[in-house]
Amino acid sequence: MRRVRSLLDLALAGLALWAAWYHTPAGALVRVVSAHVFGTRTTARPLLAYYSAGTEGAQAPEVIVPRPPLAPAAALGAGASAAMSRLAPAERERILARNHLRSAAPEGLSDVVAHLSSVHGSREGGVLAFFCGGEAARFAVERAGRGARLEDLARELPPSYERSISLAGETLTLGTAYALAWPVPPWAHVTSPFGMREHPVLGGQRLHAGVDLGVPVGTEIHAVAPGIVRRASEDSVSGLALVIDHGSGVSTVYFHNEQLLVQKGDHVAQGQIVSRSGNTGRSTGPHLHYQLDLPSGPVDPLRFRAARPQTAERGGRDL
Amino acid sequence: MRFADVTRGAARLADRLRFLFLPIALCALVAVGAHAAAEVASERILSLVDALDAALDSFFSRFALTTPLVDWIGPAQRIGFARALALVWELCADALIALPLLGYDERADEVKRFRALCEKAWKRPTTLRVVRPIATAVIALAGACSTARLLQGSVHLALHGGAFAGFLARGLAVVAVCALVASLAWRAVVHALLRADRTSDRRARSWRSALALGAPSAVVLLPLAIAGLRAAPLLSFLR
Repeated sequence: MRRVRSLLDLALAGLALWAAWYHTPAGALVRVVSAHVFGTRTTARPLLAYYSAGTEGAQAPEVIVPRPPLAPAAALGAGASAAMSRLAPAERERILARNHLRSAAPEGLSDVVAHLSSVHGSREGGVLAFFCGGEAARFAVERAGRGARLEDLARELPPSYERSISLAGETLTLGTAYALAWPVPPWAHVTSPFGMREHPVLGGQRLHAGVDLGVPVGTEIHAVAPGIVRRASEDSVSGLALVIDHGSGVSTVYFHNEQLLVQKGDHVAQGQIVSRSGNTGRSTGPHLHYQLDLPSGPVDPLRFRAARPQTAERGGRDL
Repeated sequence: MRFADVTRGAARLADRLRFLFLPIALCALVAVGAHAAAEVASERILSLVDALDAALDSFFSRFALTTPLVDWIGPAQRIGFARALALVWELCADALIALPLLGYDERADEVKRFRALCEKAWKRPTTLRVVRPIATAVIALAGACSTARLLQGSVHLALHGGAFAGFLARGLAVVAVCALVASLAWRAVVHALLRADRTSDRRARSWRSALALGAPSAVVLLPLAIAGLRAAPLLSFLR
């Protein structure tokens, strides 16, 4: 009897070890160390990625064809196309074949993803079905519930789906970013672009993590997509500051406002007036500091915009 | 060689190696639970980081000397910072309750020992004697649920779905939760109780030291145990 129990205990120990090996940062550490020792490759994710069920880590593709803000379905198609552009041909062919597609053109992908989204009850379910297959998406949605976030759906799937989940996460991130509108009227000039610049106060080259848009005090600032206000605060550097979380790892930041019209925790709709621009905080003149954050870090919001605003040498900017 | 002989041989080997795999299994189960709980807690940590970041920015930006600190954690770093905190928290919990399980030493009278330790904890409670086994129990339960969820997904999808696969996977998940709790989780609790008891015997001389002993670790473990309750959706296996 004791020996049979030992056999069962051994099976349970194997189960617990398997779960710890693939699903904990501690397991990832052991995998990385053992891969180093034995000179093998490891599929362990970066440690912090274990808190998003492997759905994040999206990099904005290096070359993005500027396009106007897209409807959500079309934006998802563009996101899927951009995510697939970095795949090896064989892997891309496999995904296309499973979805009865011949090419990874955004238009075709958006139709398929829209159809799958309606079948699985949410865009997260649809994108998951596109990359992982219908049965996996159905199972995950059944366990996590309709409308669940991709992270929650991903936690229901076994380790073999890691790569597909990462692609789904990247698609949702890029799809959300492609659908962003613009926070100020189109005539607003860029007074300081995104990128490295000489810091006027602290000195040295520092990243300017957003774009400065020259607009008069009191200009209406619109939410670029639906989301939740994560931060509505004031300090003497950023002035009246607003951070809106649009989901799928996409956040937008609005600094130097004159007045905030929403509070922390508020749900906002796309186009809703969330603040009035100003000249508060560390600023040389009236402007809006607009920043787009993806899981990989801040990116130039103009990379996701077709109509490039003109740049102006003069006008308000961050100090 | 007959199947029965192979099974008997494997059982004999498993029995001999019991002293080796049981402690590792206990440690793994609690580590899985700690991660599941930390994942739940990381969302709350992000809200706290947002609030703290706003408050600190407001404070630091008042003085020229501290103004550069405002840019230290910007909006882009907040998620990474919150996750890093969750990771540190999880690793602390691993160090407090998972790693000590590697010293688990099985005894034949385990149930009797468990009862005696519970009785002693009831009569001479210390923070350590109360918090450590409760936190271990909840986190081990969360670990059992996470492991069963993985098993269910793997079986269901390996059989390409369908009604039979769904039924089988669900049944296996329920069996796995029950077996993990009955075989591993409760042993983890016994060991946590035993260690807490030994430390309390050694160091809790007065009611003050009884209260203070284990209080810092309780600050780490109790919130994680509460998050662990949310990470242990027992009823989801029956739906």
